[in-house]
Amino acid sequence: MNMYSPLATSQTMLTRAEVAGLVALAARTVPPLWPLESAIAVNPLAGFEDRPFAEAVTQAARTFGARESLPLAAWRQVYEQGRIGERELRDAAMRQLGGCYEAMANIAPGVMAIDLLMARLVQIEPACTETRASGLAPDAAFIAKWCAAYFDSNIAATPIPHRELGLYRCVLALAAHDPQFRDLAGERGTQLLLAVPRDPFEAIAEGLAERGSDEDALDHLGALVARLPGWAGHIRWRCEHADGDRVAGAPAAMADLLALWVLLERADALSSPPGRVTQGPAPEALARHFGLDAAALDAARTERLAAIAALDDDALGAIFMAAAELTYANTLLPRLEASARTTMSDTRPAAQLVMCIDVRSEPFRRRLERTGDYETFGYAGFFGLPMALQPFGEQGRKRLLPVLLSPQHDLVEAPAGGDEAAADARRIAADGERDERATGLFATAKLGAASAFATAEATGPVAALSMLARTLAPTVSARAAARRARRRAETLAPVLDPCAHETTGGFRLADKIGYAAALFQLTGMKARTARLVVLAGHGGSAVNNPYASALDCGACGGHAGGSNARVLAAMLNDPAVREGLAARGLEVPADSHFIAAQHDTTTDRVEIFDRCRVPDTHREELAALERDMAAAAATNRAWRAQLLSRAPDDLLAGSVHWGEVRPEWGLAGNAAFLVGPRQWSADIDLEGRAFLHSYDWTADPSGEALTTILTAPMVVAQWINCQYLFSTVDNERYGSGDKVTHNVIGGIGVVQGNGGDLKVGLPRQSLFDDEGAPFHVPQRLLTVVLAPLDRVKTVVEQNDILARLFGNGWVQLVVVDPETGKALRWRENGAASPEGTSITSLTC
Amino acid sequence: MTAARSENSIFASWRVVPALLWALLVMLPIAALALAGTAQALPGMAVAIAALTLFVGALVASFSARYMRSDSARTSYFLTLAALVLAVLVFVMSANAILFAIAWVASGLLLSRLIGHADGLAEARAASRRSRATFLIGDAAVLLAVGILCWAAGSLSLAKAIAASGGLSMPLAALAALLLLAGAAARCALPPFSGWLLSSMTAPTPVSALMHAGLVNAGGFLLLRFAPVLEAAPGVRYAAIALGLGAAVWGIGIMAVRPDIKRSLAGSTISQMGFMIMTCGLGAYAAALWHLIAHGLFKAWLFLNAGSAIGMRRAGPAALDPRMVAMVSVVALGGGTLLVLAGSATAELVPLLLASATAAATFGAIVLGKTHWRSRVMLGAALAVLVGVHVAGFALARAIVEPPATPLLSPLATLALLALFLACWVAQTVRLAQRRPIPPALYVRLLNAGQLPSIQAGERP
Repeated sequence: MNMYSPLATSQTMLTRAEVAGLVALAARTVPPLWPLESAIAVNPLAGFEDRPFAEAVTQAARTFGARESLPLAAWRQVYEQGRIGERELRDAAMRQLGGCYEAMANIAPGVMAIDLLMARLVQIEPACTETRASGLAPDAAFIAKWCAAYFDSNIAATPIPHRELGLYRCVLALAAHDPQFRDLAGERGTQLLLAVPRDPFEAIAEGLAERGSDEDALDHLGALVARLPGWAGHIRWRCEHADGDRVAGAPAAMADLLALWVLLERADALSSPPGRVTQGPAPEALARHFGLDAAALDAARTERLAAIAALDDDALGAIFMAAAELTYANTLLPRLEASARTTMSDTRPAAQLVMCIDVRSEPFRRRLERTGDYETFGYAGFFGLPMALQPFGEQGRKRLLPVLLSPQHDLVEAPAGGDEAAADARRIAADGERDERATGLFATAKLGAASAFATAEATGPVAALSMLARTLAPTVSARAAARRARRRAETLAPVLDPCAHETTGGFRLADKIGYAAALFQLTGMKARTARLVVLAGHGGSAVNNPYASALDCGACGGHAGGSNARVLAAMLNDPAVREGLAARGLEVPADSHFIAAQHDTTTDRVEIFDRCRVPDTHREELAALERDMAAAAATNRAWRAQLLSRAPDDLLAGSVHWGEVRPEWGLAGNAAFLVGPRQWSADIDLEGRAFLHSYDWTADPSGEALTTILTAPMVVAQWINCQYLFSTVDNERYGSGDKVTHNVIGGIGVVQGNGGDLKVGLPRQSLFDDEGAPFHVPQRLLTVVLAPLDRVKTVVEQNDILARLFGNGWVQLVVVDPETGKALRWRENGAASPEGTSITSLTC
Repeated sequence: MTAARSENSIFASWRVVPALLWALLVMLPIAALALAGTAQALPGMAVAIAALTLFVGALVASFSARYMRSDSARTSYFLTLAALVLAVLVFVMSANAILFAIAWVASGLLLSRLIGHADGLAEARAASRRSRATFLIGDAAVLLAVGILCWAAGSLSLAKAIAASGGLSMPLAALAALLLLAGAAARCALPPFSGWLLSSMTAPTPVSALMHAGLVNAGGFLLLRFAPVLEAAPGVRYAAIALGLGAAVWGIGIMAVRPDIKRSLAGSTISQMGFMIMTCGLGAYAAALWHLIAHGLFKAWLFLNAGSAIGMRRAGPAALDPRMVAMVSVVALGGGTLLVLAGSATAELVPLLLASATAAATFGAIVLGKTHWRSRVMLGAALAVLVGVHVAGFALARAIVEPPATPLLSPLATLALLALFLACWVAQTVRLAQRRPIPPALYVRLLNAGQLPSIQAGERP
């Protein structure tokens, strides 16, 4: 029999369409992975969100070969630092044991079950041995190597041959020349290279048919996708979220990747899946710790003892996480209950500030509020504008909106104002062209067989000066760059109005009025605004840091949000828009001026845009506001410096230093999402751990605004929360590991050391402190809404995604009733009827 | 939330390291001036290489003060780094053969240790082992060569041992020179020793910077220091030229295909080291020394800046017009022929003409480029500065090393060598301009170069 004969005649062969369906489902095992140029936080377990949290974590851990929780030693560090209360840990432990009665069961005189468990949590040396593979298996290394070469976007000077054929066919063509393939797949592999269908779907169908059982075909394909979650995620990004110009010339879909895996499988070159084994201590050891004789216990007690002894690190970690969540909730919720009935004042403040919901806005807002009569709001950092912007002098566009949406308005950046701006813009364009030319010449010269050597010799001494300046005087050397950026911002602005011939470019008046009105509707901001209203987007500052964009605004697609603020401010200052708003009952006072700004979360400086358009009558007030913002920035910086164990000035230096690996803590520590008016939380120090979305339940009888808030910004917050959570739990599998050995690959991401899978998630330095203790405590997002329970209930029940997230325990929902001030917790486990239980009655 | 603990306080022991290295860098020229004219006068080349090592070492240490701040083994990291720089200083300055040998071997072992610094990664441990094995082979060759020389001279003084090489019997001289070349090739990561460098990306970024700026250069230093030994064995010089030429072209190929920034830089280093060894073989010592120093600075800069490679735009394919490259090459070759005919062909002919061709082609591209005239003036001025720097550096290097050896190659062979580089350049530029991929078989070989054998299922604590 010819074993390579096509199997097309076989009855069990799936059709191409069936395979396509399977592949599409299998692809969902991993979330899309955005290039680091515009990093987006995603839940690495997004493909498991349809299951209850605990089950999903276990299942995903098996699929990805990951841990389910932080190691016990790390949890104990957190506990010893006092970030988990003892009472809460005991509560969580009791729940694990099945309640009070079970927990209090005697194992021996004076030794209760809870005592055993607590000892295992905080005292007994973790006896668990963990074994797992480190380094990539040869099959994964082979595919990762070709993915890297194929998806390279800017580093290799020579393109990979046959790229235009698609990933699968390109690798088929090149593997024939690759001795590593022969080593891996042997004679059969070499023959398969010639025999397998060139169509990836048919190749997968053949592979599945050869494998026989097709009941578990989907699981099998999903497991293959999960073997290289980074490259698979990159493929999902290419297929689902990338602009055409970014991926042109290199067609690849998940079927290509799977067809390669199937090829290796058919050649019997598949390694065993990434497994991991953990073990708890023997019951005898636990008994010994308490001086008990395990043999002398009766059956029921032996069973209890064994059950506690059988808990592995993961199970103990889950108890710690529950305790961390309880500790946080028990501190926060009573305060929120106490302030639930605070009424809003009706006076007009000196100025209002609308900032992103980002957790880093809260500490700045609180400190600014203390400096004067200021009112602040939280709104999604893209200011509700689904737009993309083509920066001046660049080819591609930036998607400045949450990845849940697709751009509705394509804007260009152009000189703002008169001839002077136009002349400046020409100079900027010429400078940009010159720099590009210089970079191009340098890149070409250092690659040339005759020119590489003299290029190194001539540029070496200049490089020495550059290194000196960037290492020893970073602020001085960064000044030029800052000046350039300022000049750009002063000269150029996004163009709001559509060009005559384009349909998607720009905004029509109706759009403008709609987006302007949304600000008031969603945040509950009163139309009687202050004389100055600052719309502040945000971005981070980091130099020479592949993860720089992870510090930018997630709502703006991993970019700084200044442009969105500028666009919305321009709309709100537009008299025609004001008229339209008035027609909708939103009468913005004529003396209100909207100012766009950008909050630098690394330095806490606030940059004001379009200063020249501020009316003379408002200049003094703006100057006063800027003074207060600078003061708030200084105190906030000092507080943040403490968290970073550094000096406040060092934060400024670090933001421009090319060796800085942790310019700021980013969103580490994020724990809560508060939906309600600012007055509700204004007197609580939320320690930069809460997303704040302003919301006024009295102004939203239909629940429409609440629906939007919970289904869009909150979902983004949940992605961020889960990214931080899982990156901390297993920094190697769900995170990107240590930054110092990162190696930028393809211009799109990083790998560890010499190669391997494209790294997902966040690096160690973003989550753990200098001493290696977790700075970010893994805990699920706690969403607290200040609104009547019925309204929240309706909203949740009408939206599948919310029912799923809350019901499966991915996000914990607490509703604070504005009338009674009572906090009610949404039950997990998909219970449809939200019978609220009091948060404070957790202990028995 | 957690307060700073002693390991990162300003009094932490590791903070001494950057300060120490900067202080040594300041003291070096003072010591050199103070000792000038005395019996202990430091040789110019040693001072130059020591200054380079200290400069890059101090920079890397300062950079690491941030970069490695949260490393769990930072104290060990900084101490190893300091020890490594000191070991290089000792073997560069040493007049005693034993001291030289100890420091030379130590520098290799310390570097291996830093390559495996991330010892949680199985790959890092494998890369560390691989580099150690390579160094041990190379170091054994060096030790043997030094042993032969000292035995022949009957002295442990390096200077005497080297001076005595002229009197060695031919096979012995050839053996010593060949061993030195092998030792240099191991450090310079020339084929067949390239693997260790290409798999050393497990080292923290600043270590890579120091490695590519300071440590791989040790091979060049070795050949410069022991130049008389090579001059006594012309056959080995031919081998050095051939090996260097091969590495120069091979390395460029690796650089061109690598999709990751760090290994692309490693490919470039192999190429540059090949060029340097070739220059040593030609006997153009000043050119080799200047290349060693300037390339060290250049590569350290590129490595420290490796985090910036996200989202960079790919350089336009037509930055250099192939027609102009071809024209410049023809002119350079013509100029070379004229010089040869005029009888002024020195060992430096190849590096100098290649540099001139580079400057000419770049200048042409700037002048003919379609940018604003003001940009062209600025770029032209910048290029003039670079050329000036290059010339000055070259002159400085000339002042401190021995005059070039008598040209080894016949004028015709020199021209052929020059023509080879230029031809590769033209072919490469044409391919780049057309964005034509290289043949698949070659592509795969280049992409696979230096890959560690895959490690499976290493047990992890």
